[in-house]
Amino acid sequence: MKLTDTKPDSCGVIRRIGGDAHLAKRITAIGLTEGTEFQTVRNDRKMPVLIYLRETLIAVNRTDAERIEVETA
Amino acid sequence: MKTRIALLGQPNSGKSTVYNALTGSRQHVGNWPGKTVEKNDGYYTYKGTRYTVTDLPGSYGLSGNSDEEVITAEFIKLGLADLVCILVDASQLERSMYMVAEFAALDKPAVLLLNMMDVAASQNKEIDHELLERRLGIPVLPFIAAESRGYDALRELLARELEAPHKLSSVPELPKGEDRGSADAVRAESEAKFRWIRRMLEGVTRSEQKKYEMSKRDRRLLSPVWGKLACFGTILLGFLAAMVICFPLMGIGAMIPQLLNRPIADLLTSLNVHPWLVSIFSIILPNTLYFCVAMSGFVFGVNLVFGYLEEIGFLARAAYQFDNLLSGLGLQGKAICPILMGFGCTIGGTCGTRVMDNWGQRMLTMAVVWAVPCASIWTIIPVISSMFFTPLQTLLVVVGILLYVMVLMTAVSKVFGRTLVPENARSGMIMELPPYHRPHWKHIAKEALLKAFDIFKRALRTVTLISLLFWVFSYSGTGNVADSLLYKIGTAIEPVTRIFGLGWRTFMGFLSSAFAKEAVLGVLNAVFVGNGTVLDATFRSAFSVATDNAVLGRAMTDVVGKAEALAFMCACTFNIPCVMALSTTYRESHSLKWTARIAAFYICGALILSCIVYHIAALFL
Repeated sequence: MKLTDTKPDSCGVIRRIGGDAHLAKRITAIGLTEGTEFQTVRNDRKMPVLIYLRETLIAVNRTDAERIEVETA
Repeated sequence: MKTRIALLGQPNSGKSTVYNALTGSRQHVGNWPGKTVEKNDGYYTYKGTRYTVTDLPGSYGLSGNSDEEVITAEFIKLGLADLVCILVDASQLERSMYMVAEFAALDKPAVLLLNMMDVAASQNKEIDHELLERRLGIPVLPFIAAESRGYDALRELLARELEAPHKLSSVPELPKGEDRGSADAVRAESEAKFRWIRRMLEGVTRSEQKKYEMSKRDRRLLSPVWGKLACFGTILLGFLAAMVICFPLMGIGAMIPQLLNRPIADLLTSLNVHPWLVSIFSIILPNTLYFCVAMSGFVFGVNLVFGYLEEIGFLARAAYQFDNLLSGLGLQGKAICPILMGFGCTIGGTCGTRVMDNWGQRMLTMAVVWAVPCASIWTIIPVISSMFFTPLQTLLVVVGILLYVMVLMTAVSKVFGRTLVPENARSGMIMELPPYHRPHWKHIAKEALLKAFDIFKRALRTVTLISLLFWVFSYSGTGNVADSLLYKIGTAIEPVTRIFGLGWRTFMGFLSSAFAKEAVLGVLNAVFVGNGTVLDATFRSAFSVATDNAVLGRAMTDVVGKAEALAFMCACTFNIPCVMALSTTYRESHSLKWTARIAAFYICGALILSCIVYHIAALFL
């Protein structure tokens, strides 16, 4: 499923990051790599998705979050 | 001898704190050659040696995602620093070590600062920095950037390492492949880097994914509706706090012309000095001083409040709340604070843009902030409007102005956005929301004071220059408006200004609104009622005559029609904010070219708007 479809408080693992090299650089530099565990903290309509990952609270805008495939536990 | 140090770190790593603490006021801000990226250089002296410090632009990596990253990587690669001091956030060690992994490929001497050890400690995180030091092969120093006591150890370490530098002894093994720039290769490289980080941190710290519990404060501040309201409220409170802080300073500033005007004028007149010089020394100079004191008071207040809001982690949350709304203008969510501040004072909003990530974003935000009518405008518009219109109509004028603010903001972002924030550099928000910190007041106050003093020094020149220019035009030997250059030019070009719907008197009011919005009523009084000179009115000197709104109203309505009044109000409101805002923008952006461009845009825009409003209104009113 996509990161944008995850429910608040659910935990999961990042499976696949889509998009071009530019997005790949930006998003992996902040710590989102394939295989990383994460927890969705907030996922509100028209707001960036808030996730907790590598001990950090991170906001990812919805367009880019659409391109992130995750697997939830 | 090697003395060049560069600071490298991700956003929120405390890099600029270290930079400011090391260099104090011995700083120079410029631009990187050919780029719109700010270059910060400073120096400090330790044991008789002068060390230079370059504050490299903050970014999450070094892989060339932005101009900032390209410049940073080039700077290090070219060996322009003898030692790179890398900062990481000890409370988020694994993630922020990514910068070290990126740096490793450049193979240069470095030291590592584990900053925010206090935050890490408060989260019960223990870090074995000696083990990390052995693994990395470079010195690792636990640090709290916002506390002054660690800096001697830092200076000592830097001096020692410049003498006998160390390079990383372990570097990430990157996958070899043909196609290094592809998205797949980028992902594989980053994964390899994080694997290396895990290996380095094994046994150094425990980094297990724990269940994250949103704090009560975050539950409220991050909710879609209440959070936005809370943000509005906090920024409003912040603005009020800034006002309260700078009030005493502004009060002292306001006393300067009142105390100095008459004594200087009397003294010089008794010495038979030419009246020209008398008016320069008794009116222009004390007022310039007043303007600059008031300006730096504002800058101090705003920087104090913003420094606080940024340090406790509020700004990142406001950015999250308003990112969606502002991305339409090509701006980051953080721009919400300077924009809302603009309703209070454009100077405040302008220097509030320092929280933006890069120069282009910053310049564009300043340009947008100019569109926001400041508190002074809200004090003059209702007064003028009520001379011509009923209260209901006045309300409509106010609503109209607010609606046009949005139009103007969009126009500004369309006209300047493409160059300042190019389409390909506009990427959606991917950012960290740092945990709430306790503020380090001493440090925040020190930085705000430095900034305010800096603005004061720099602004004196600009404001004096523009004041003198205005003096040349508005000086009248006899005290009669008709003897000033402004009058002569004003009446001569009246046929032209009529096109924009303004007679020579209202045009003068328009010109003075570019100087200071508070001056508008006084100047109108001078040109319509003939009470006092434009010069005294503009500079609100001790000689200026108090404005009687009723008298002014009668005098104005005799000469000016409703359509012209409406056009005049629009022209004033959307003219350039004031000399002080202009000067602040120049000082904060370091770009005369862009400040002039934006000023030209606003003057032309105000006149065009006035023209349209006048001709349409003339059909109905």
